[in-house]
Amino acid sequence: MAGHSDSSSSEKKSSEAMNDVLVFSAENMQNNTKVIYYSRTFMSIIGGVIAGILGFTGFMGFVFYFLVMAITSIGLIAKAKFSVHSYFDSWNRIILDGFMGGLMSFVLFWTFAYDIVHIF
Amino acid sequence: MAEDLVLDTAIRDWVLIPLSVVMVLIGILRYFVAKLMRSFQVPDHKIVKEGQVIVRARNLRAAANFIPPKSFRPRRVYFSNEENGLLFVPKGQAQNAQAQMFSDPNMAMDMMKKNLSMIIPQTLTFAWVNFFFSGFVAAKIPFPLTQRFRSMLQNGIDLSTVDVSYVSSRSWYFLNLFGLRGLFSLILGEENAMDDTQRMMQMSGFGFDPSKSLASEKDGLDIVQHEWALPKFEHRAEAVLKKLVR
Repeated sequence: MAGHSDSSSSEKKSSEAMNDVLVFSAENMQNNTKVIYYSRTFMSIIGGVIAGILGFTGFMGFVFYFLVMAITSIGLIAKAKFSVHSYFDSWNRIILDGFMGGLMSFVLFWTFAYDIVHIF
Repeated sequence: MAEDLVLDTAIRDWVLIPLSVVMVLIGILRYFVAKLMRSFQVPDHKIVKEGQVIVRARNLRAAANFIPPKSFRPRRVYFSNEENGLLFVPKGQAQNAQAQMFSDPNMAMDMMKKNLSMIIPQTLTFAWVNFFFSGFVAAKIPFPLTQRFRSMLQNGIDLSTVDVSYVSSRSWYFLNLFGLRGLFSLILGEENAMDDTQRMMQMSGFGFDPSKSLASEKDGLDIVQHEWALPKFEHRAEAVLKKLVR
């Protein structure tokens, strides 16, 4: 535990599981949560533009949104080197957080791109 | 799909894009105006003192497991002792503070200012959209909706056979309203985005209620069961140092 240096620049270790009681550094965890939120928002905007350009309609578009969210989750987990518990307090956070907020941005940019490209 | 309307290019240039641009700009403007208008109220001496006591008690509760039991207990007694403990406030005194805060004009003005700065730009923009951009199909949303949404989304358009996916500009306004929140949080940093529902919840829960929070801190402190989490830390330190030296 002593030899670990913080190799990832954006996510910080937020728990040291050295005791029986897990200790969380609140500030680091807040920072990690913010990182997740930003990543999801950004990816949902880009995903919306892509979906609009490619002409997805209806159900396919929402499937694409789930796909983009899943890719984001996998990317975040990979960045945390698969040891989720030392960066976040539960699995749900890294998978489900920011899901709904991203949906609205996705729909907006999807509509926008779809209209501009296909119904111009 | 039954029919595939071809919409005028000019609609794209003069409706969708200006509306989005205007909403983004208004959001940024509101953020800066709020920042400039944030008046600093001089905090009341007594309230600050009580606030600090609460913070201390909360720290004690959070970190209780890291100090040995012998030092935790006197600290707890210091806070929650019945006669002269810091968290024990007699009932009569508590009521006064609350009444005073409600009639304080400064706080009421601040709340009103914040509420207004939230609501006025939205109302103005909505009225503007309704006045200028009504009566034509503005956009097509890429997913189908049921007939019930027709009245909500197509209110300027008086044809009932048009597919529900073709919406008026009012619905484009609402779509922007919700969707640009994420964009604002990226541009403006942190959660300064236009989270109106969150702000309204903050407004309704009044804020600094000293008597109740003191009592709740006292209860919380009484409940804490001390469990020393670092009984073996000397061994651990030894192991770590050994690894370093090797």
